[in-house]
Amino acid sequence: MTKEITYLNYLKKERLPTQWCPGCGNGIVLKLVCLAMEKLNFSQKDTVIVSGIGCSGRSAGFFNLDSVHSVHGRAIPVAEGIKNANENLNVIVVSGDGDLLGIGGNHLLHASRRNTNISVVCIANSIYGMTGGQSSPTTEQGSRTLTAPQGSAETPIDVQSFLKAHHCYYARSTVFHFNHAEKCITESFQFKGLSFVEIKTQCITNDGRRRGFKNAYEMLISYKENYKINNKAEVLEHNEIGIIR
Amino acid sequence: MTKILLQGNQAIAQAAVKAGLQFFAGYPITPASEILHELVNEKTVKLLQMEDEIASINAIIGASLAGAKSMTATSGPGFSLMQESIGLAHMMEVPLVVVDVQRVGPSTGMPTLPAQGDVMQCKYGSHGDYFPIVFYPNSVDELYQYTFHAFNAAEESLSPVILLSDGYVGHLYETIEVKDYDKTERTLAPLGTSNRHFTGLTHEDSKPATSDPEIHKKLIHHLEEKQKLVSKKYNAYEYIENTSSNTLLIAYGALSRVTYHFKDDFAIYRPIRIFPMIKDIKKIAAHYKEIIVLEMNTGQYVNEVERLLHRKVHLVSILGGKIDLQDIWSKLKQIRREK
Repeated sequence: MTKEITYLNYLKKERLPTQWCPGCGNGIVLKLVCLAMEKLNFSQKDTVIVSGIGCSGRSAGFFNLDSVHSVHGRAIPVAEGIKNANENLNVIVVSGDGDLLGIGGNHLLHASRRNTNISVVCIANSIYGMTGGQSSPTTEQGSRTLTAPQGSAETPIDVQSFLKAHHCYYARSTVFHFNHAEKCITESFQFKGLSFVEIKTQCITNDGRRRGFKNAYEMLISYKENYKINNKAEVLEHNEIGIIR
Repeated sequence: MTKILLQGNQAIAQAAVKAGLQFFAGYPITPASEILHELVNEKTVKLLQMEDEIASINAIIGASLAGAKSMTATSGPGFSLMQESIGLAHMMEVPLVVVDVQRVGPSTGMPTLPAQGDVMQCKYGSHGDYFPIVFYPNSVDELYQYTFHAFNAAEESLSPVILLSDGYVGHLYETIEVKDYDKTERTLAPLGTSNRHFTGLTHEDSKPATSDPEIHKKLIHHLEEKQKLVSKKYNAYEYIENTSSNTLLIAYGALSRVTYHFKDDFAIYRPIRIFPMIKDIKKIAAHYKEIIVLEMNTGQYVNEVERLLHRKVHLVSILGGKIDLQDIWSKLKQIRREK
């Protein structure tokens, strides 16, 4: 008999529903992380979740295990300290793209050099949602934001090259491609070394509505239309999702 | 009992190992780097050279939460970078030891030359209200001893304790007696044993985040009371009474070593636990007509002393890292003349 897979074992049920806006994708990522832990039989006693600041930073507080909600951008060094102090712990970072790639970008660069055995799940919604919708490191070129009303002029950050060069695990997926995303996260938790999974997700409140989307569903469908799965790629193009080992 | 020749920074590192240090994260900076160097070959210490001081302080926060007694060491510029997370450690109640070997600032200033410009940064460097315990020894022997006390106070108060030093004391070589001082064991359960949520948000056990002012007041009050209670155990100061003098000199760290030359003409008070301030100074100061604070900045501790004593306090300010006995003597005489 196969065991029933549920995500609820890892959450503090009394804290649900989450305080995120209707249509937010963060809850889907939370569920994906729980399902991956369930599949791998992670013990609640041996697992620690670390997050930074932002909407996604609130993730850590929902897990029914020891969790740390650190300051802005510093989830990775905190996680590295935890792992170095106790190698037996599964240390998982769940945070946003602004947190991990903007203010905390340097820590990811150097954590990848050290290849610390931690798993990073990046909720990449391409916007600073909590502060009202400013451009983030993964905002697509030309995308309109609060701080780039004419469209962002900057190239979105691409971390796969240095993660690959440093022999880390990199995968990209979206909340629309649920099974693919779950596979990416589950594999990343099994990887020995630093793993980084970027999950593209939607923020209708402070991003989508400014870009002409009527609702979160339209944003989800746009992931279906814009991203193609390519698990064999050496390098993922900007419109591809897949796994780079 | 063994006598050995040690540098101030080495003494901190060696005492830290004896006090139970298990994890150290740091970034090179003059004049604190020797602490990092000294710990590299310690088999019982996990050491990470991080990409900056921000990563260092956050790594030791993580390691400490995971059960390892942890420390970092830096100088003024790095200490500034650490301030946000020092606030986090107060809020999350994480035991840590942060060593700051001061040099002349602001900014890059004069590396390796000693200064005492970080005194206020210790107390007010991070945002919000917090109540740090700060020790500032003035000899290699004391650095050794107070490293133990810093670790113990951190465990007892569940907070980051600052061990202040300066380029002079840090680089000073002295022969000291190496002793084992008492050690406080860890009481905080390590990560991976429960379902606690450590956060920098105002929180209460059942509420990971709140905007209730009453909960915030309760939390800040708790942080303050806890520090008062723990620091009582460490009422560390040196007082050299002088009944024939009407003037009390107050100095700490490197500069206090010079004041010993004036003990025939003045009384001397040297706080070792500089924060929270030791209340005994009130009783001591009552015996003297004049009070002069000597410090290597434009006047930081002097304001705190004035605030505590509610009376006029004079300042002898030494800038630029040069400690000149003649210069200090003439400044003291000038203050006397003006009286």
